[in-house]
Amino acid sequence: MAITRKDVLHLAELSNLRLSEDQIEPLIKDLDNIVGYISQLDELDTDGVEPTYQCFDMQNVWREDVIEEFEANREDLLNLTVESEDHQIKVPKVL
Amino acid sequence: MIIADKNTKAVGLVRAALDKAKEYEDYHCFISMNEARALDRAREIDERIAKGEKVGRLAGVPYAIKDNYLSPEGVTTAASRMLDNFPSPITATAVAKLEAEGAIMIGRANLDSYAHGSSTENSYFGPTLNARDKERVAGGSSGGSAAAVALGIVPFALGSDTGGSIRQPASYNGVWGMKPTYGTVSRYGVVAMASSLDTMGCIANNAEDVDLIMSIIAGKDPKDSTTLDDFWTRELEDAKPKKKTIGIIKDFLKDGVDPEVSKTVLSYANKMKKAGYEVEEISMPIMKYGLAIYYIIQPAEVASNLSRYDGIRYGHRAAEITDLDSIYGKTRDEGFMPENKRRIMVGNFVLSSGFFDAYYLKAQKARTLLINAYNEAFEKYDALLCAVAPAPAFKLGEKTDDPLQMYMEDMMSVLANLAGLPAVAIPAGESESGLPIGVQLIGPRKSDQVLLNIAKNVEENA
Amino acid sequence: MSKSDYKMTIGIECHVQLNTKTKLFSAVDNDAVDKEPNSCVSPIDYALPGMLPVLNKAAIEKCVRAGLAMNCKINLVSRFDRKHYYYPDLPKGYQISQMYQPIIGAGEVHLPDGSSVKIDHAHLEEDAAKLTHFGNYSLVDLNRVGTPLLEIVTDLPGMSSAAQARLYCEELHRLMIYAGVTNGDLYQGNMRFDVNVSVSKTDKLGTRTETKNLNSFRSVERMIEYESARQISVLEKGGEIIQETRGWNDATGKTTAQRNKENAQDYRYMPEPDVPPVVLEQSYVDKVEANMPMMPDEYRSKFGVLNLDNSEREAILNYPILAKRLNEVLDKGGVQLAPRVAHWFSGVLLAEENLDKDFTLATANELTELSEMVEKKELSSTGAKAILMEMYDRKNTQKTPHQLAKEMNLLQENDEDALGVIIDEVLTAPECAKAAEDVRNGEMKAIGFLVGQVMKKSKGKANPATVNELIKKKLS
Repeated sequence: MAITRKDVLHLAELSNLRLSEDQIEPLIKDLDNIVGYISQLDELDTDGVEPTYQCFDMQNVWREDVIEEFEANREDLLNLTVESEDHQIKVPKVL
Repeated sequence: MIIADKNTKAVGLVRAALDKAKEYEDYHCFISMNEARALDRAREIDERIAKGEKVGRLAGVPYAIKDNYLSPEGVTTAASRMLDNFPSPITATAVAKLEAEGAIMIGRANLDSYAHGSSTENSYFGPTLNARDKERVAGGSSGGSAAAVALGIVPFALGSDTGGSIRQPASYNGVWGMKPTYGTVSRYGVVAMASSLDTMGCIANNAEDVDLIMSIIAGKDPKDSTTLDDFWTRELEDAKPKKKTIGIIKDFLKDGVDPEVSKTVLSYANKMKKAGYEVEEISMPIMKYGLAIYYIIQPAEVASNLSRYDGIRYGHRAAEITDLDSIYGKTRDEGFMPENKRRIMVGNFVLSSGFFDAYYLKAQKARTLLINAYNEAFEKYDALLCAVAPAPAFKLGEKTDDPLQMYMEDMMSVLANLAGLPAVAIPAGESESGLPIGVQLIGPRKSDQVLLNIAKNVEENA
Repeated sequence: MSKSDYKMTIGIECHVQLNTKTKLFSAVDNDAVDKEPNSCVSPIDYALPGMLPVLNKAAIEKCVRAGLAMNCKINLVSRFDRKHYYYPDLPKGYQISQMYQPIIGAGEVHLPDGSSVKIDHAHLEEDAAKLTHFGNYSLVDLNRVGTPLLEIVTDLPGMSSAAQARLYCEELHRLMIYAGVTNGDLYQGNMRFDVNVSVSKTDKLGTRTETKNLNSFRSVERMIEYESARQISVLEKGGEIIQETRGWNDATGKTTAQRNKENAQDYRYMPEPDVPPVVLEQSYVDKVEANMPMMPDEYRSKFGVLNLDNSEREAILNYPILAKRLNEVLDKGGVQLAPRVAHWFSGVLLAEENLDKDFTLATANELTELSEMVEKKELSSTGAKAILMEMYDRKNTQKTPHQLAKEMNLLQENDEDALGVIIDEVLTAPECAKAAEDVRNGEMKAIGFLVGQVMKKSKGKANPATVNELIKKKLS
């Protein structure tokens, strides 16, 4: 399939990227090339093949239900944010 | 690799490394140095040695970390504007293990932003130059790590390999690069790129050093549910191959591969014969789809893993934010490099409703076919041989305008990641213009040490 | 046209917060009640770079218990997936959930009214952060991030009335409490309901609207009544229903269309590469099943012999410990003694203003003994009720009902000789002469006065029935 300007704008929204106009044109070309290339998988017959999501045979990797200490505490973490108030992270009004 | 002892002072080793780093500053191997703390640690280690204490297997050995490994000293940037103000409170498991053995981190090596790239040109802080030719790229994404080792600044450096990011720069700079079996080294504390493909490994000067470093950083980590039980436990000499048979992947000797590179692969094959290995060509048609499979699965996981970078809890936040949408939209537009954005958008394309089955699911099925092909081959061969990259290091700027051309760099290296297999990049020769060319040995899961044993054996007996 | 021409179809997604000690994927305190903002947050919940989820085994067992409580199939193989959306309540930019292979499969929940509701599946996922909104900004508290949530999704035909939907929610709440998988505090948001409503005059389903985050049974019922009426009036006016997410306002009792991208949302589900699949042995599931307590349904059928009315029975079933006690009393004392205890529970204990009592205090033996004392006329029913309340007082845990009766001076006098003495006194007393005479002449209604006098003299300890008989004898 060919990637259009509309597709790029849609993908930018899905990706939460506010792209300046000058970025859009090159992206249409680049994404179209890339999608064109990966589309060659159509040639491959994969009927009845199970997908591989994780290339290892591990299962049931879990921990006991016990509270542990971590390297970073609340202050260490909140110090990383631009704005906090009352031990909470401050963001512009969420509608 | 020189280890500190009563006669060889750690301070001396670290000082020498720091001086070399300055001497080669123009190569831009490092994003930031860790000078003061490194020297403090060196002194402390010298004191402990003087007291006769047991310091560890890497006492006083200076090393570099790729700047996507979290460590509380300084700032972990992942070569991005998004994290250029991120002082990590966390220490990556691999780093903690090395420091516990007395190794001393002297600086953070350059990389393509978020490890997206094959030349280190996608770094927010500018590219790293090739150790052999300043006109050329160091490769990527672990370009800084590879060049730093090749230039002799440090005896080893940590890297990460999602589709060739350790092996390709190692091969471009003429050093060894180890991409271990998926799950060998904990991913805890390393900025995630593509979770089902990411592997942590090292770049060094010879098989013994690689083996020692990997034996230290390998092992199960309760903080990473995908780590394997520690299998890196043998002496290198004991990890001998059973069959002594090697398959050359025929499909990678012609189309798209530089004749000089193919020549090097074949000459390495001859070395292997001399060393007593049975070498024959094997055709694996599925391999030509590897890159397409990779550039569906990897961007999908990249898009997902980069969703957390929103300017809210840490990292860059765009100025003059008025509403929530602009916190996300502007921050991510400013914080990511063009290649980051391309991968995020391709990833969201293959995952989006209507395309998931045709692309993502299809690729995961093709991945199964790829793994089956490998399993079949390994019934006959101890390891498979092919080049790491289709050509020697290219000129700076040569491929920056054409992302797809840049992707082609990975056509042979992504395969091991898709199947979770170990692969070691070995310096195998030079082009006529004197550029290093590397080959890689790919083996069954957990055969990492066997691959190193074979490579060492070939070097000694040919 | 009237409401009755329309068939209502209701589907419910219920989010149950599991009461594990630690969160689903990080080993921090999962109980944030009365704790400071962001005090139950690890680098994993904060979504620092390079952090990885580590599954909490206890959450899996609680899911299995919940599934069995709902008579659902337990899927031996389940996996996690990432659900992507951008919102400040979601630090990773995705929620780890189960889109393709949930841990709990299809089943059926039986309601007290005999009807039942089909369950499509239930999946395990992470809860999101709490946002508090102020003038031009909002604050983010991540304490709730990563709390294990079990999302229970009903299947068609769904429910057909607001009342049935409420019954379902109430029963689901009971089942989760009995299974011990949640604290069940609705005020704390331990259970939250997303409700789909549609109406139609034909067998073809109408367009549905979804109203999210209802946190009381009553609001579920009221919302459905309002929303179905709204949809019908829209259709009657020739309009059409828009598929949308609506918000419920408890104060106005109305739902309103919500401005949100939800409807256009593309979650881009992707298998979670950081968490290996969960593969359970049937033998493990059997073991969990063997350790399940009795469920409300089993109690209901067993309590049939007690002939309680539904409201009384359900009131008791709301307290697993009372249902357990009543069941034990039934086993010890049979239908002779158990119904009285049931009435005490519903009529006395639960009629209390503040239910801050520890219902575990009174043992089955004590309750049976108390009921037996009334049966044997050793206690008046008023006396018994007084003792019952004392039995739920910590200071009395060591005392038997009999000891309490003694202390409180409530044991009834049945000894005929002792009573005889008092009765003779009464009959010979001048003020009673008239009444006694009347009784002798067969005017039996006068006997009440005499019995009253005896009761007064005996300070209420005499058993009125016995007294009545004795007086008759003496005066015949």
